[in-house]
Amino acid sequence: MKYINKSTKTSFLLGLAAMLVFSSCNKDLEQFPGTPAAGISTDPALGDVIKANADDSLYYRMIVKSGLLATINNKTTTYTMFVPGNSAMRSFITAASGGLVPPGAPDAVFSGFITANLPAASAAGIVSYNTCPQALFSSSIPSTFPNFQYPSILNPAPTLSALLRLTTFPTTNNGAWLNNVPIVPALNVVAGNGVIHHIAAVVTPPQRYLWDRINTDAGLTYLKAAIIRADSGTIAPGTLVGALSNIGANLTVFAPTDAAFQATLTGAIYQGLVAAGYPAGASTFATASALASSPTVFSNPLLYSVLTARTVQGIVVYHVLGTRAFTNNFPTTATLVKTLLNGGVPTHPGISIKATFGVPFVTAATIKGLGNATDANVIINAAPLIPDPSGTSDQHYLNGVLHKIDQVLLPQ
Amino acid sequence: MRKVTSHLVALLLANLLTFTAFAQDVSISGTVKNSNTKEAAGAVSVTIKGLSTGTFTDDKGNFKLTVKNLPVTLLISSVGYELQEITVSTASQHVDVAFKPNSALGQEIVVSASRVPQKIMESPVSIERISAAAIRTSPVANFYDVVTTLKGVDVTTSSLTFKTPTTRGFNGSGNTRFNQLVDGMDNQAPGLNFSVGAIIGLSELDVDNIELLSGASSALYGPGGMNGTLLMTSKNPFKYQGLSFLVKEGIMHTDKRQRDASAYHNWNVRWGKKISEKFAFKFNMELIQAKDWQGTDYRNYGRSATNGAVKAGTRESDPNYDGINVYGDETSVEIRSAVLNAIGVSAPFLKNFIDTLNGGRAINVSRTGYTEKEVTNPNTVNFKIAGSLHYKLSQNTEAVFAAYWGTGNTVYTGSQRYSLKDFKMGQYKLELNNKNWSLRAYTTQENAGESYNTTVATQYFNESWKPSGGATGWYATYSQAYLGARLNGLSDAAAHTAARAAADVGRPLAGSDRFKAAYDSIRKKPIKEQGALLLDKSDLYSFEGNYNLTSITHKIADILVGANYKRYVLNSEGTLFADEPGSPIGINEYGAYVQASRKLIDRISLTLSGRYDKNQNFKGRFTPRATVLVKLANNNNIRLSYQTAYRFPSNQQQFIDLNVGSVRLIGGNQLFATRYNFAGNPLYDFEELRKGNIVAVNTAELKPESISSFEAGYKGLLMNDKLLIDVYGYYGQYQDFLGRLVTVQSGSGVAIALGDTSKGNRLSIPVNSADKVKSYGFGASFDLRLAKNFTLAVNAASDVLKDVPTNFVAYFNAPKYKVNVAFGNSGFGKNKRLGFNMAYRWTQGFLYQGDFATGNLPDVQTLDAQISYKFPSSKSIFKLGATNLFNQYYYNAIGNSQIGGLYYLSFGYNIY
Repeated sequence: MKYINKSTKTSFLLGLAAMLVFSSCNKDLEQFPGTPAAGISTDPALGDVIKANADDSLYYRMIVKSGLLATINNKTTTYTMFVPGNSAMRSFITAASGGLVPPGAPDAVFSGFITANLPAASAAGIVSYNTCPQALFSSSIPSTFPNFQYPSILNPAPTLSALLRLTTFPTTNNGAWLNNVPIVPALNVVAGNGVIHHIAAVVTPPQRYLWDRINTDAGLTYLKAAIIRADSGTIAPGTLVGALSNIGANLTVFAPTDAAFQATLTGAIYQGLVAAGYPAGASTFATASALASSPTVFSNPLLYSVLTARTVQGIVVYHVLGTRAFTNNFPTTATLVKTLLNGGVPTHPGISIKATFGVPFVTAATIKGLGNATDANVIINAAPLIPDPSGTSDQHYLNGVLHKIDQVLLPQ
Repeated sequence: MRKVTSHLVALLLANLLTFTAFAQDVSISGTVKNSNTKEAAGAVSVTIKGLSTGTFTDDKGNFKLTVKNLPVTLLISSVGYELQEITVSTASQHVDVAFKPNSALGQEIVVSASRVPQKIMESPVSIERISAAAIRTSPVANFYDVVTTLKGVDVTTSSLTFKTPTTRGFNGSGNTRFNQLVDGMDNQAPGLNFSVGAIIGLSELDVDNIELLSGASSALYGPGGMNGTLLMTSKNPFKYQGLSFLVKEGIMHTDKRQRDASAYHNWNVRWGKKISEKFAFKFNMELIQAKDWQGTDYRNYGRSATNGAVKAGTRESDPNYDGINVYGDETSVEIRSAVLNAIGVSAPFLKNFIDTLNGGRAINVSRTGYTEKEVTNPNTVNFKIAGSLHYKLSQNTEAVFAAYWGTGNTVYTGSQRYSLKDFKMGQYKLELNNKNWSLRAYTTQENAGESYNTTVATQYFNESWKPSGGATGWYATYSQAYLGARLNGLSDAAAHTAARAAADVGRPLAGSDRFKAAYDSIRKKPIKEQGALLLDKSDLYSFEGNYNLTSITHKIADILVGANYKRYVLNSEGTLFADEPGSPIGINEYGAYVQASRKLIDRISLTLSGRYDKNQNFKGRFTPRATVLVKLANNNNIRLSYQTAYRFPSNQQQFIDLNVGSVRLIGGNQLFATRYNFAGNPLYDFEELRKGNIVAVNTAELKPESISSFEAGYKGLLMNDKLLIDVYGYYGQYQDFLGRLVTVQSGSGVAIALGDTSKGNRLSIPVNSADKVKSYGFGASFDLRLAKNFTLAVNAASDVLKDVPTNFVAYFNAPKYKVNVAFGNSGFGKNKRLGFNMAYRWTQGFLYQGDFATGNLPDVQTLDAQISYKFPSSKSIFKLGATNLFNQYYYNAIGNSQIGGLYYLSFGYNIY
């Protein structure tokens, strides 16, 4: 007891001290380390990588001309760039200059042309069409049919929508391609803010609609007439002309030539006449041939019962795919694909398509309609990569691609 | 039954009629003073030896008594003093009593352990008692907080005035496993189902004592006391008289961490008056006003799952950030399926690009929220007013009419954080107390005022300034801006930032007039009208009676019987419960108990109790209790008990129908099967569906949960009665544990599909767990009286949950170890006028599981301290005190307020 008495003060002080020691900090909220925010890469930016590559010097000039250098050098953004090497650029400049810059001119001349003569808007159109948002490595580009649609950074009508973009159509079917242009080594060149693929030719952004070509091509007058006939009685915007003129559409048109239409129509009219009591033979055939000799056949009232709007529409839509397929994306074995006809006849098997590849381009491609006895042939460009309006295959438009073919495809 | 009733009536009448013989002749008077300090000793019992006649001294120590004839022997007694006998032989003699204080331990009398008064040393179950003196010397700012210093007590602090204590685990911000009784009335809000102990109940000056029964205690107090029962008793105005007041002025937020330093006001007034030997009344008022502590946990939370977790990420780094104390960001939409895919359809040229975003995975985006600070009222107010009238019908029978009313603003954590604004609750009772029996009728009238769910209010607020859906809605704007930014080459993170900036154009700035006007209109609108207001006006009506038959049966055993009837009336006008305006839901509950105790042999007493309860929506339940007290020596007892307890599913678990943002909480009553068409559109396990498994949920009938518990303890006085030791150990087993399960119904009404994880109707239903869980623990306390009035008290306790099945969310929420140390002196220095007290508390960290949020709590230490100076002549005390002296912010539930230091100076007048 005495001890307790004596030690009261000591215990008081000890107690106080102990409590002070105990009362050290209470821990603050337990924190959870997250993945550190992706920092800015120290690797050179896209523009600097292109600048550093001697074979990309002409394209670099075009980037400078386009005014997009700062954009692609902004390391807080990520892009994929398709870059044509100097050889491809020379061909492009020669063509763009209307031959004023000959193919053999020194690079300084090409470079000077870009700086002095190429409109900045054209340069910006090309560079932005060959630039896509985010890093798209070739391993992410599918080889499946149809082409992989991927937006570029080119907005053709920013006032219409901030989200509008012209799209590119890469594929890795039988090599690697941007639209119908081969992607060549080196693929997947990594920059600090994206990835670069080299392409064999300059890919220009499409300028026109499919209908612009069909409407003006002297060799597609029957197709044009057929489309107008098919549209009769239909109200816009549900018309085929509407779709072929709509930037939102994404189509592949197999365009039978006038000769192909004439042949098919002559046969069909002949059979119709014979069925209607005309004598079989040359005179009736001549009559049929005369009737089919002009695209007005589709607006001939005498034939309205044979070439009804619905029948013609059925035939026309059988030539159109709801996707975009360049020939280099075609399968190498005959494969059925759906056409717009399936919109009305869902069970229809479609058309059978097939391509034969050379090195690297397609040398032959065939299309077979269900009602056709033989394959129709895609009329392959006389030389690789002939652009609109002169080519016959892989003609690229804002809303699709057009291939001329030598037969009318018959759905049944 | 009828026969029993008529007997009871006869007994009652017999007792009532005795007051006709209540007539005296000789008057004697006197004064009782503390022999040490010479201060007047109030509330001292003065009784006549051999009779039950008696009175109490008033606040000046005076008493007056009339007796039939002289001489008489007066017995002067009070806790903390030595019993004194004085013989009075002449009427003119003024009796002066020098009352000798006795600081001996273990002298207190408790009544709740066996429903009859007994010495605390001889309680057969674990019990703790807080006396008015303990409150007086405690450093805490609010008397209710003294409870947390008792051994084995855990507390969950929702805010400054909203604290929820319990023992033996299973705590939460609204604890339904721990009963709180105020003067015999259940203090639970009938609708919101939390006990309002600190908010509406007693005020500090009127607390006579608080008794805490740890562990299962249904056998005597009815369903609910699974983990313990807290009984608070107010001061009887016959005994405690005079005008007292207590003013505390304090300061909080001194470090400006949560807000600028602000004042704490706590004013108390009590007036008790004995008009005559037959009639007394009292009046109490208490006001607390302060700027509340805040929930400032802005960590990211995975909340949509039932078993959520804190995770990495901030508003800046995680587009789907859901901050714990950030509201409105619970609205989360997967923008790929909700918006981007549709863009891909209308603009097919973007489809493939959209498919590549975020690696083709879901892109979940939450709306921009507001912090708790921005959406809750910073003022916490608590105003209590209470009064009672006491009339002695006879010497042995007292009639009491008492009213308790309180209102307050505070913050409470349920499944969400609720801002209780102008919450009101009144309790009114009529009671007849006889030496042998009591009858009590009371009602609890709740009114949630303008209380609202901060999560839902903020979500609707966000909808009000910009709807989430629609072509120009927040998510459409966000998604388009996000897509546009990605198309412009921006990184995912930068695109989300840009998108949020675009979608948040026009977002009202917190605190602006526009914000306040819009927010107020939402929070004042009922939930059904796309608001967040809880219209809860639920009531409880309760009747109970107890009869102590011992005077008749004492030869066989001491026998106590009692019965009660409760009726809940749930009235939320459909905003909280499945009721309709004008047709509230009624729930009837009744029960009865009997207790028999007897000394088996000289040193061993046995008590057996049994109780039967029936709720109209559930099968009846019987709960037995058996206790044995073994007297080793005088003031040295061993106690053994087997107790059972259970609780009916709470009113909310039965009838709630409340959208809390991410899910709709519904009750377990069968009416919900029809209301939500379980038959036509069955329920599936939401978590399983998220994993890709379709697992049907069968809604079984809800059962009450129960616990059986064994306890052994020892209480003894050692070292010349200078050391009081109390130790206990317990083992309990829980069965049919009540929890919740998140289910999902098909959103389209056809077969369930994986997409219903986002499109389906999420319903959280109450379920009984098939698993049994066990808990065990111990507690020990040492109270030491040192020389010169110094005291040292140390207690420690441990609670452990065992055999918890994997994935089972038990909400155990108890630290494995906790320690309290208190060191103080109630009178030292010159004239023993100085006093001080220091209380240190340490609780070990643990995994806190809550409906609102789950996460790890760190160890917490707090130190409270006070130093005081007394003026014995006026019984006045100056006190300088601090809770959480070192301002070390702590929190004891995830998402709850973080508590800092509170420093106060108080002056109390006529405190005894």
